[in-house]
Amino acid sequence: MNTNNNVYTIIYTTIIVVVAAAILSIAAMALKPRQQANIKAETISQMIAASGISSKEDLAKLGNDKILALYSDNIKTAFLIDKDGNKTDELETEVSSIELQDNLKMENKNIASGEPSLPVYVFEKDGAEINVIPCYGAGLWGPIWGYIAFNADCNEIVGAYFDHESETPGLGAKIKDEAWFREQFKGKKVDFDNPDKPFGIIKGGAPEGDASKVDAITGATMTCNGLDAALNTWFKAYMPFLSKKAGAAVESDACCCEGDSCDSNGEGCGKECDHQHEHKHQHNHQEG
Amino acid sequence: MNEDLKKTLLNPIFKGNPITVLVLGICSSLAVTVQLKGACVMALSVIIVCGLSSFIVSLLRNSIPNRVRIIVQLVVVAMMVILVDQVLKAYAYSVDKQLSVYIGLIITNCIVMGRIEAFALGNKPVPSLLDGLANGAGYGLILIIVAFFRELLGSGTLFGFRVLPASYVPNNLVILPPMALIILGCIVWVQRSIQKDLQEK
Repeated sequence: MNTNNNVYTIIYTTIIVVVAAAILSIAAMALKPRQQANIKAETISQMIAASGISSKEDLAKLGNDKILALYSDNIKTAFLIDKDGNKTDELETEVSSIELQDNLKMENKNIASGEPSLPVYVFEKDGAEINVIPCYGAGLWGPIWGYIAFNADCNEIVGAYFDHESETPGLGAKIKDEAWFREQFKGKKVDFDNPDKPFGIIKGGAPEGDASKVDAITGATMTCNGLDAALNTWFKAYMPFLSKKAGAAVESDACCCEGDSCDSNGEGCGKECDHQHEHKHQHNHQEG
Repeated sequence: MNEDLKKTLLNPIFKGNPITVLVLGICSSLAVTVQLKGACVMALSVIIVCGLSSFIVSLLRNSIPNRVRIIVQLVVVAMMVILVDQVLKAYAYSVDKQLSVYIGLIITNCIVMGRIEAFALGNKPVPSLLDGLANGAGYGLILIIVAFFRELLGSGTLFGFRVLPASYVPNNLVILPPMALIILGCIVWVQRSIQKDLQEK
């Protein structure tokens, strides 16, 4: 048979491509449940790594089931918030039915359109709450994302973990591989007074003493710019929630003079109190 | 015939090793040899892809239109690579993440297409399968040797287990790709001093 005939060639290639596509679709469908279980465990282990409850290296040694169990044991509550920072829905945290809001790509679009449904995962570590929120954006070659852990009052970052799909190994991939990069987020703050750019990853080094800036990675400018944009977009979206929490913390600090611990030292505490709470303060004195 | 098969199987492992003699597949052998585990998974993946795609192309060899043979080969290789990637994602997710882009890049590994063009198109399926597997194994062997030295000297561990005493200071240079090239050069040197007919005059 003449295999160089045009009609033969076209029919032949069509059949080959269709057969290959069919085999791949069947394989993809058959393997999907397992792959999704792996992705879910990976997502959870990134959150746990950000919260500081366990390290990514230790988590990698655990099986999927143990990671889910660890999540369920350490999480206090997980919920969704709307654009004003109000809680709209609870997420299931029971080990058999863990719910995650892990379609970050979708939420990234929803942030832009103004109708996001953002997740907050509240872990408990050594009796203190840790609020973990995600971020998502575009790196140089593909999506990049991460999880940022805040303390109970949401005014200080206590940990972070970043990952990427296809950044260059040795350059952009350092956002995941280099521990110093995520370590420098510890102790940083989101700048509530600068709502347009609440956080910065600065090329050439962050200015000394600026609590809301970190150093970028040499040779990974595009990836760092992408991460900077991702963090700012998501911090802005979370701003109402974070500032509400932080604001509440400031108020409760100010009212410390009402608490038991301050009774013995009313003088020193009074100085720290806000003016608006002074009437309560006086009231306390009268009772005393 | 039996002698032929034996030669097909053994030649690519040492005498005609795809990396050290043909100098194919260098790029991925520098990238995935930091740890033995990754190198082993990569070696296994290349063996499977190389063997099975040689087998499939050899089955089709008399029907493939000559003008589009490269495209047909590419479809077969790409299909095998995606299958391997999907299986790894389901059963060895952490290794798959570690190897990241390099699994997908097996498609462009010159060894795979090279063996299909040079051998599978002109031979029966069984010898082609063996040739593919053997070339994959030759590639994997070098990968594992390089990874052995890099993990041992660069991290002081083998397969993640500490073998050198904790007082050993890991040599960070070994972790970087240039050192892989130097180790590879040493392997080529050793092979050429054993196998004198490879030396140029």
